[in-house]
Amino acid sequence: MRWQVIPQSLPYLLAGVRATLLLSATVLVTGTVLGVTWGLLRVFPVAALQRVMTVVVEAVRSVPLLLQMFFIFFGLPALGIQTPVFLSAVLAMTLWMGANLAEVIRGAIESIPRGQLEAGVSTGLTYGQAMRSIILPQALRRMLPPFVGLCTILIKDTSIAAIIGVFELTRAAQETIERTFRTFELYLVVAVMYFLICFPLTSLSRSLERRLGGPDHPRAVLASMAASR
Amino acid sequence: MKAYEFHFIEIWKALPYLTEGAALTIGISFLAMLLGLVVGLALALTSQGSLRVGRWAVSAYVEIFRNTPLLIQIFFIYFGLPLLLVKLPAFASGLLALTLYSAAYNAEVFRAGLEAVPRGQREAARSTGLTAWQEARHVIVPQAVRISFPALGNNLVSLVKNSSLVSAIGMVELMFVANDISFNNFRSFEVYGAAVVYYMIIILVLSRGLALVERRLQKALA
Repeated sequence: MRWQVIPQSLPYLLAGVRATLLLSATVLVTGTVLGVTWGLLRVFPVAALQRVMTVVVEAVRSVPLLLQMFFIFFGLPALGIQTPVFLSAVLAMTLWMGANLAEVIRGAIESIPRGQLEAGVSTGLTYGQAMRSIILPQALRRMLPPFVGLCTILIKDTSIAAIIGVFELTRAAQETIERTFRTFELYLVVAVMYFLICFPLTSLSRSLERRLGGPDHPRAVLASMAASR
Repeated sequence: MKAYEFHFIEIWKALPYLTEGAALTIGISFLAMLLGLVVGLALALTSQGSLRVGRWAVSAYVEIFRNTPLLIQIFFIYFGLPLLLVKLPAFASGLLALTLYSAAYNAEVFRAGLEAVPRGQREAARSTGLTAWQEARHVIVPQAVRISFPALGNNLVSLVKNSSLVSAIGMVELMFVANDISFNNFRSFEVYGAAVVYYMIIILVLSRGLALVERRLQKALA
C-alpha cells in the first residue's frame, strides 16, 4: 500500500467532490420540477392523461440510467440533437429523477383516502383547492422520507456520468489512477467520501420515516420499499 | 453537415447478438438475486440475533453498501482488490459486486419483514416448545418472506437495471453488447434504441410476473 498518494491527490479529489455536488444539485432542481409536474399530472382526474403519464413514467423508469446517458449522448446526434457530456448527463438524470419522484408523489397522494377529496369537493371547493388545502399537506409528510431517499440515490448515481466522461468524483479517481496506478487506495478513499455525503441523508430519511411512521412502522416501511420500484 | 441516414437494417443484423446480451442480463440478474437473497436473509437473521457484534457488523455492512455507488463497488472489486488479494475475472467480479449490493438491500427488506411478523407468533412458537431454530425455520421466516415479497420484487427489478453497470468492467450483458455493436457499426441511435426497447420489455414482463405472484400470495394468505 502506498497511502501517500492520497494526500497528494486530495485537492484533485476534492474538486471531484465539488463537481459531484454541483451535478447533484443541478439535477435536484431540474428533476424536482419535472417530477412534481409529472406526479401531479399523473393523479389529475382525466383518465386519458393518467394513462399517458403512466406510460411515460414507466417507460423512463424501465431503462437503466447508463443506457439513457448513452442514448442521449451517442444516439440523439442522429436526430441533429448534439448535447455535450455534462448536459447529456443532466438530461438523463433529470428524466430519471422526474420519473421516480412522480411515482413517489403519486404513491403519497393515493395513500390519502379518496373520500377526503370528494368531501372537500362536495363542500364547494374546486379540485385545485381541495388538493392544495386537504390532500397535499398530508401527502407531503408521506413523501418526505422517500424524497430524501431519492436524493441519496441521485448523488450515488452521478458516478455513472463518469462513464460518458463527465468530470466528477468517480472520474477524478479514474484520472488519478491513470497517473498513479493505486486503484485500491483511491477507490477506497473515494468510497469513504461518497459515504460521508450519503450516510447523513440516509439517516435523515430513516428518522423522518420513524417520526412520521406511527404504530404500523415495519409494514409501512415495507410498503414504501415496495412502492419505490 | 450531411444528414444522418437511418439504417434500421443494422438492428436486424445485430438482433441475435442483442438477444444473447438480453438473455445474459436476465441470467446474471437472477443469479445475483438468488445469491443476494441467501446472503441477505442470513444478514437479517443475524441482525435480529442476540449477538451484539453480529448486529453491529450487519448494520455496518448494510450502511456501507447502501451509501456508496454500485459503480465504485464494482471498480473496487475488479481494479482495487488485486492490489490486496486476488485478481478476479470480470464475470466473477461483476457477479460478486451485484450479489453483495443486492444482499444489503435484501437484508433491509428482510429485517423489516421479520419485524412485521406479529410478536404473538414468536411467543406462541416459544410456548409450544419449539427451539429457536425451529421457530425461525417454520414460523417466522416463512411469514417474513411472504410479507417481504413485493419489496424483494422491487429489488430484483432494480438489480436488472443496475446490472448494466458491470459493462464498465467488460462483463458481457445487454449494455456491453449494445456498446460493442454501436462502436463497430456507428449506428448508435438504432442500436441503443433497440437496447432501450429490450430493457423495457424485460422490466415490463418481470413487473407483470411479480405482480401476478404477489396476488397469488395474497390470496393464499387471506
